[in-house]
Amino acid sequence: MLRASAVAERAGVPTASLVCEGFLGQAATTSTGLGLPGLPTALVPGHVDVQTVEELRRNVAAVTVDAVIRNLTEAPARAGAAVVEPAAADIVFAGSFDEVNRFFYENDWSDGLPIVPPTPPRVAEFLRFSDRPGETELGVLLPDKRRATVWNVAVNGVMAGCRPEYMPILLALVEAMADPRYGVEHSGNTPGAETLIILNGPIIKELGFNYEQGALRDGIQANTTIGRFWRLYLRNVAGFLHHRTDKGTFGNTWRVVLAENEDVLRRIGWTTVAEDEDVAGGNAVTISRYTGGGVIASVFGNAPDRMLPYLSDALVGKVGWELLFTVGMGVGSQRPLLILSPILAETLAKGGLDKAGLKQRLFELARIPAAKFEKYVGEWTNFVPGRPSLTGLVKAGHIPAVFAESEDPERLVPIVCRAEDFMVAVSGDPLRTNAYAFAHNGILGYPTTKPIRLPADWARLLREARAR
Amino acid sequence: MESLWVLLPAGQRVSGEWIDDTLRVRAEEKGLLARTPLAGEFPRQRVELIRDADPGAEVNRLYRARGWTDGLPILPPTLGRVDEMLGGSPLERHVVLGEVEPLGGVASVEKVAVNAVMAGCEPAHFPVVLAAVRAVLDPAFNLRGVQTTDENVAPLLIVNGPIAARVGINAGWGALGPGWPANAAIGRAVRLVMNNLGGGWPGAVSFAGLGQPARYTLCLAEREDTPWPPLHVEAGYRPEQDTVTVLRAETVINVTGGLDELASVMGSAASLFGILHSGKPGVILSPFTARRLAQEGWTRADVRRELHARGRLDAETWRRSWIHSAVRATDWPEWARAAAEGGGIPAVREPDDITLIVAGADLPIPQHAYCPSWGHPPCRVTREIVLPADWAARLDEPREPGPPRG
Repeated sequence: MLRASAVAERAGVPTASLVCEGFLGQAATTSTGLGLPGLPTALVPGHVDVQTVEELRRNVAAVTVDAVIRNLTEAPARAGAAVVEPAAADIVFAGSFDEVNRFFYENDWSDGLPIVPPTPPRVAEFLRFSDRPGETELGVLLPDKRRATVWNVAVNGVMAGCRPEYMPILLALVEAMADPRYGVEHSGNTPGAETLIILNGPIIKELGFNYEQGALRDGIQANTTIGRFWRLYLRNVAGFLHHRTDKGTFGNTWRVVLAENEDVLRRIGWTTVAEDEDVAGGNAVTISRYTGGGVIASVFGNAPDRMLPYLSDALVGKVGWELLFTVGMGVGSQRPLLILSPILAETLAKGGLDKAGLKQRLFELARIPAAKFEKYVGEWTNFVPGRPSLTGLVKAGHIPAVFAESEDPERLVPIVCRAEDFMVAVSGDPLRTNAYAFAHNGILGYPTTKPIRLPADWARLLREARAR
Repeated sequence: MESLWVLLPAGQRVSGEWIDDTLRVRAEEKGLLARTPLAGEFPRQRVELIRDADPGAEVNRLYRARGWTDGLPILPPTLGRVDEMLGGSPLERHVVLGEVEPLGGVASVEKVAVNAVMAGCEPAHFPVVLAAVRAVLDPAFNLRGVQTTDENVAPLLIVNGPIAARVGINAGWGALGPGWPANAAIGRAVRLVMNNLGGGWPGAVSFAGLGQPARYTLCLAEREDTPWPPLHVEAGYRPEQDTVTVLRAETVINVTGGLDELASVMGSAASLFGILHSGKPGVILSPFTARRLAQEGWTRADVRRELHARGRLDAETWRRSWIHSAVRATDWPEWARAAAEGGGIPAVREPDDITLIVAGADLPIPQHAYCPSWGHPPCRVTREIVLPADWAARLDEPREPGPPRG
């Protein structure tokens, strides 16, 4: 009976379920089990089995009918049993370092590496680096719909092994995570792409980030622990867990923070990644999800014309099914990333290219045959149903004309919709001619940049932190 | 001060809610908090650290007060014990078997293992427990009804195949009685799953008026050493396959004698619910009788036909029964109403609705049992018992001898 009511309620049809007195508990229990706690019920006093027709008529008229009318005319209370979790400042455990670590790991709160126990004094130290109180909400994160707060940013920062002065960066990261443009809810999808954090601004040097040799390697506290924080926060606040909310087929380890070499950028007159994403000046984080990447070793040549074919070929080589983000799911949301070592950037700049010019050249050179492009999105995968042709998509006005400059299946088409869809960063060993290319996950982790807000007395706090 | 790392056996819904929050409210409404004073009061975690001079006793005290036991002491489900239990699993710990009605706690393999440890299962029992849980989660079993009805129904688990002897599930002497760890623990594990993941707390969610001892455990193996093919082979499985068959048993009625006496008990008010729902009851036949009948040329089907033909409820008894006046005439199935016109209603719609099981000791004054069915839809659910890949190697490890056949 209640199952029928649940189906009707789900379809938007008001219901009244008549329930004999002794079965009200069952009704409440069952409606909870049906996922609709508080399904409207109308009490029938006693039990109908033992009532005469007259008694039943009297009971229904006196009690049941009013309830039925209320059931059908008033919005039912939908207050279910909320998920009860510890309050922010609750002490959930007291024990030795080893016990704390076992406890956190066994309760799915850790990533398998030891955590720093998030004790109240440690959390308080982090909170000093925010002008906003701990309870400040930064957003609500799917899939667990948990509130992101300054407090739980601090807690996860402590656990990840961050230093308190990283807190402004952690807060900016979570603001970016909570931005709908980024799409954190997709973080458990099956291709299992992983986020890369790109850092800009004076804070790179203030906090000792590595932006030279081994820029994407763990081993430097700031780069490494903030990368770990990202994944811990996805676990503990957003709620992505192995075998449950995470469906990444393979996934990969979290990436360390990529800090740009801004000295070089300034010297050659190039914009930073944050500036390219319209967050000008100062400190900023940019997050974006990449399906995979790889190094482009030994880029040979002393001028753009000699270097660009290789770099373009590498970008093309990293992209396959991801082309669906170029023409299918979220047209134009494919944002491949090219990281240049400083010496490569300087050589390209010396050859007369600024960033916009470089992106334009990549747009012209990083191309693949239209027939192969169509195979990626319509034949080898089933991402774009109906196997549409690029010319058809152009004619329908879905994608730019550049994809249909002729009908020739072997014509070359770009891998992104617009030149500025390419992203270019400068980092890594300054004097080695290597680059790195990342294929992008489109709208399932779209580049999102947020300014980093420093506390009012940042200079003093930083001085104190360094002195400790 | 000693410490134990224990897992929580309680049910969490897909949405993350713990069913204990609902149970707490129900228990309060019904004035039942004296039984479970700590209902819903526990850390919302997977694992808890219990520190106490006697942590095993403390786990027992806490788990009982939180409503997580059947009243008997449990074995604390420590991380180590649960890992060992999962060593006997053919499935990874995170695999989800389903949601347990009525409150919908998610039955992951790990949660089932926690409850199996508490029930006293050995790792070798775990494949049977998993198959049994799968069976009661089959919609045909109507677990929601079983858990919430005011009747006293309990799942009856019948194990077939070589696994029964290998892990010590008794089919012989006192198979439904105390003394057999596998029979006791496997049935109890299913009950704890129903209690802790489904929320079938007596009086709060489960409204069984009287209950029955079978709600602690009701699990046995079949005697496969008669000339007849065993139950699972009749159902189409190969003899070397292992299965568990689950029935909804309203109770277990002892019948000493022969087919006459069985037919007599079946043709009584005991079968009223079964007739109403065209149910599938169980008949446990003594191996002595089975062997004798087989020697005389009877097949299992012959026995079922005989019981169907002779176990008739007198139409007048039916008409005078409380249930006859409680339900509409049209609620009775066509076959029953037609049979009533002829003066007597068979206990089942057709002979094959009887689940015939051979079990018990080889006593010359044979004891059988009739397990009338409750509820709808008609239900006899069989699941193959899937073994872990390293099962053969595990069985080579020394273990205690199995029970005698009787």
